[in-house]
Amino acid sequence: MSDVIRKNAWVAGLVALLAVLLVVTKLIQPTFGVSGLESIARAALPFAFATAGMAVVVIVGGIDLSVASMMAVCAVAAAVLMERMAGVPALLIVLALGLVMGFLNGALIVLTRVPDIVVTLAMLFVWEGVALLILETPGGAASDWLEQSIRGSFLVPGIPNALVVTIICVAVVWLPIRRSKLGLSIYATGSDELAAFRSGVAIGPTKILAYSLCGVLCAFGGLSLAALTGIGEPVPGPYLLASVAAVVLGGVVLGGGRGSLLGPLIAVYILRIIRTILTLLAFDPNVTTIIEGVIMVGVVMLGTAAMMRGAQQ
Amino acid sequence: MKKLLLGATALAVATSMGTVSFADAHKSYTIGISNTVQGNGWREQMICAMRAQALVEGDVGNIIVAHRNTDSAGQLEDLNNLIEAGVDAIVLNPSNPDALNSALEAAMAQDIVVVAVDAGVTAEGAYILSNNQEEYAYLGARWLFEQVGGSGDIVYMRGIAGVSADTDRDNGFKRALAEFPDINVVHEVFTGWQQDQGKQQMFDFLATGIPFDGVWTSGIDNVIVDAFVESGAPLVPIVGADNAGFVQYLTEVNGLVGAAVTNPGSVGGAGIALAVDILNGEAPANTTVLVDPVLWENGTDAGRATIMAAQNPNLDPEWPVSVTVPGWTDYTMEQIIACEGPGGS
Repeated sequence: MSDVIRKNAWVAGLVALLAVLLVVTKLIQPTFGVSGLESIARAALPFAFATAGMAVVVIVGGIDLSVASMMAVCAVAAAVLMERMAGVPALLIVLALGLVMGFLNGALIVLTRVPDIVVTLAMLFVWEGVALLILETPGGAASDWLEQSIRGSFLVPGIPNALVVTIICVAVVWLPIRRSKLGLSIYATGSDELAAFRSGVAIGPTKILAYSLCGVLCAFGGLSLAALTGIGEPVPGPYLLASVAAVVLGGVVLGGGRGSLLGPLIAVYILRIIRTILTLLAFDPNVTTIIEGVIMVGVVMLGTAAMMRGAQQ
Repeated sequence: MKKLLLGATALAVATSMGTVSFADAHKSYTIGISNTVQGNGWREQMICAMRAQALVEGDVGNIIVAHRNTDSAGQLEDLNNLIEAGVDAIVLNPSNPDALNSALEAAMAQDIVVVAVDAGVTAEGAYILSNNQEEYAYLGARWLFEQVGGSGDIVYMRGIAGVSADTDRDNGFKRALAEFPDINVVHEVFTGWQQDQGKQQMFDFLATGIPFDGVWTSGIDNVIVDAFVESGAPLVPIVGADNAGFVQYLTEVNGLVGAAVTNPGSVGGAGIALAVDILNGEAPANTTVLVDPVLWENGTDAGRATIMAAQNPNLDPEWPVSVTVPGWTDYTMEQIIACEGPGGS
């Protein structure tokens, strides 16, 4: 047991921090309960998917600056399609759309050999334009069942449906790959591209696959936006920087090769609950973002120091 | 690991100490404020008007301001957090009329008063208080059409296609147009409410050499005057909003005949006043309340005097100069400039 904790020290630390923050929230606002948990889980949805997608490409050694734009494309596509056709086919089309966008991002990076950050920066604008082409102003309508799927609790009050949806969607996309040879290839490529190549890993296809996975997760993110608002908004939300922040806080090394998806996902909830706490405390909104940033860098610094001391012992 | 926990505990202690400010709020309302555009002069005036009005309302003990740049999903998060904070009323500038209904309905189910300012929401039972945009356009357009003698060619510079304020203004403009059959719209563009874009569009149209007699703008106004002055074109009557820059031009630019129609960001303050009225059981009969605009022209002595009086060097140049809404707001000019709410928030 202690061995498991030591191996996952960072994740364990994040879980402890999340638990502490939940207790703090309860202390500040004694009425905080099931509905509060549900609303935090709902607010975390788009951040969670953007973060999961970002984590996959960071692990492979890249970065995707177009996550928020891809989410916008998927959100408007979902809202437009669901207004005109049955929900399930529309949902599948949106997921395929995310896959195609991610595939294009990855293929461009591998084929042109232009750095990831440049290609995805360019694609940020391309996907933003595509979203506006699909829907010039906010509109469309998400299916009722999609909106209902993220409300309420699952079986027992206190386990929000939104949380269950997040876990299932990320697990379905990531776990089969993580446990296969492809998963190993993704970590190997991110860890040391040359060594991976010499060990027989197909670097190009592995990268393209990682970006495609990111696209699919962004499609889930777009769907969650449509589910939250009931409409599609063509202008990307603040998910790019937030996802990078959660990936770092979640213990994924920005150079690639190390980290999991679990840490970043817990980090998403930590960042959302910090905002809830700051709202409950009626902090000056201009100071709120400063506090969020300071807490983040503080936690990463403390965590790194603790890890290093642990390694020395 | 130990350190991590230690840090987290320190954070917990630090944050829980902040709750003390809650405790001294006695017999009074807590009002939550939600806004999704930060750094825009009109919106900043709106937030300051909300704070100042909350300060002078005797019944408001505390306000919680969620004011950041975000999308509808982010505003939903803020609204749900305000509900969790146990506010008595929520005054919001909605990012979208349809996207926020789930949170607004949850709020109203808990007897939280919801007032949308500046733009409407479709959630049933929510109060809407906004500037009367149709009347805004009608007033300015009618004045302009009279200025050019009831007949002539007009350049019509709109805002953003599909945004409700633009659609309402278009209806008002068309209403005035119907009253003047000899007025012709020679050119219609969308400025996107962007200063640089509007200015370029005016440069482009001046370059075509097509004659026209007047310009109606949807609030992108001072740069239109700049375009005339910089390209050396003779000035024609121009209608704009009461933005500080344009109002200053009305008094300073030689040969400019123009009018400013008020579109105060201080409707935010009026929204707080309305929320308090409703909490005190004095709800208006209709859930939609419109604030009527006023027109200030620089051609008459009375109009000129109003414009001179409205100017204040202490005012942020990006703010609308009409800082109060008569009949609604009770704060002073100093209080809105100080931008402080109850309890120093």
